[in-house]
Amino acid sequence: MSIPAPSSPVWTRLASGGLSRIQTSHLGTQMLIKRLELSPAPPAAKAAEIYNYFAKWERSLANEVAQLARL
Amino acid sequence: MQMKSPSSLASDGTPVNGLMPVDAVADLIRAGACLSLAGRKEALDALPAGRWIGGTSPYFMTAEGGRIVTGQEVFVTDLGAIGDVSIGIYGADELEQISGEAPDQGFALAVIPAGSRCHAEFAKNAATYPMAFMRPTVGWISGYDLGEPGASAWVYDGRSGAAFADRVVVAHVAFGDDADALIEIVNIFAPEGEDVIRFDETGFTPRWCTVNGERRRFADYVMARGRQAGDLPLVGDFAGAHVNASLKSIDAAAGTVELYAPVFPGVDYAFAAPVGDYAGSFREALSTRSFDGAAWSCNCILNFLFGKLEGVAIGGLAGPVTFGEIAYQLLNQTMVVVRKA
Repeated sequence: MSIPAPSSPVWTRLASGGLSRIQTSHLGTQMLIKRLELSPAPPAAKAAEIYNYFAKWERSLANEVAQLARL
Repeated sequence: MQMKSPSSLASDGTPVNGLMPVDAVADLIRAGACLSLAGRKEALDALPAGRWIGGTSPYFMTAEGGRIVTGQEVFVTDLGAIGDVSIGIYGADELEQISGEAPDQGFALAVIPAGSRCHAEFAKNAATYPMAFMRPTVGWISGYDLGEPGASAWVYDGRSGAAFADRVVVAHVAFGDDADALIEIVNIFAPEGEDVIRFDETGFTPRWCTVNGERRRFADYVMARGRQAGDLPLVGDFAGAHVNASLKSIDAAAGTVELYAPVFPGVDYAFAAPVGDYAGSFREALSTRSFDGAAWSCNCILNFLFGKLEGVAIGGLAGPVTFGEIAYQLLNQTMVVVRKA
């Protein structure tokens, strides 16, 4: 399963709280979730960061990518 | 030893990752190997310049068990067998460049001297560096023999052989496009499930906290809970990841507590539940882990000491025993493993 396009609304949903509902034991993803939770950055910037993260680590995050559409 | 290439020692598919005599390590450096080294200062001072980084520690976990080495041995990890290596050195105001200059595929292996400004700055800010989670940093806080009065921590830039008390040495290890760096931790501690502790400020010396919403002086809370021995860390909940901050000292009269890692606002903390058998807990945790492609590891001096791991094998990958562990950010009382997958 490949990740949604950068223009997909899924990234905005994730940036607006959806990311905290993801089930993951991947350390980097867990720490990124916490960083974004504490970050004052605007949602659009967070959405871009989340997209870039999943695009980079797609190969290692099959379980997490499979959850994206329903978050 | 038959060498695959000047920069890689691997001849049978198994990279070197263990203790070696100083003279043998010097020969490897002269042959052009790319190495990550750890040992006592007198051992590292005796090595020739070359393609290596290093840090001081006399404590190690090996396949046979925990060891405290003399100045005649050095722990060697053959980075050249893992990927293409470049070496950098950074000051306390340049730390975000560690991940910023790391390869797109691979990782940065950083060594930071304990107690330095670099140590404090990295601990407080690592998770905020722009590339922190795109180009992962792992590594360790160098230390010293706790039985040696006046000893201090050092890191080494092997290109010159120079030692530094407040710089970060980094080996950037690049993989091909077909491999990722998997950064994993083994933390035998879990929250005790009693109180939720929160802090208002980032820091190593929190004076105040809230416990289940009630404002308390942190030192008073530690004493009231009987946790002043320091064997049980605070466990922070980072979206499900357990990130420890261990107690370094407490001055009950002054009402101060010093930690080995900072606490952060917005994170729920709890004291760890007691662990009766450190070695058994590690063996159990490690027995279910994959070590395919395992390249580098470290474990914490507090686990070594409180767990009485000298001479005791726990499984997993050998590596230095450290004054702090790095997996994206500073950790305490945790084993870190990097795998190439």
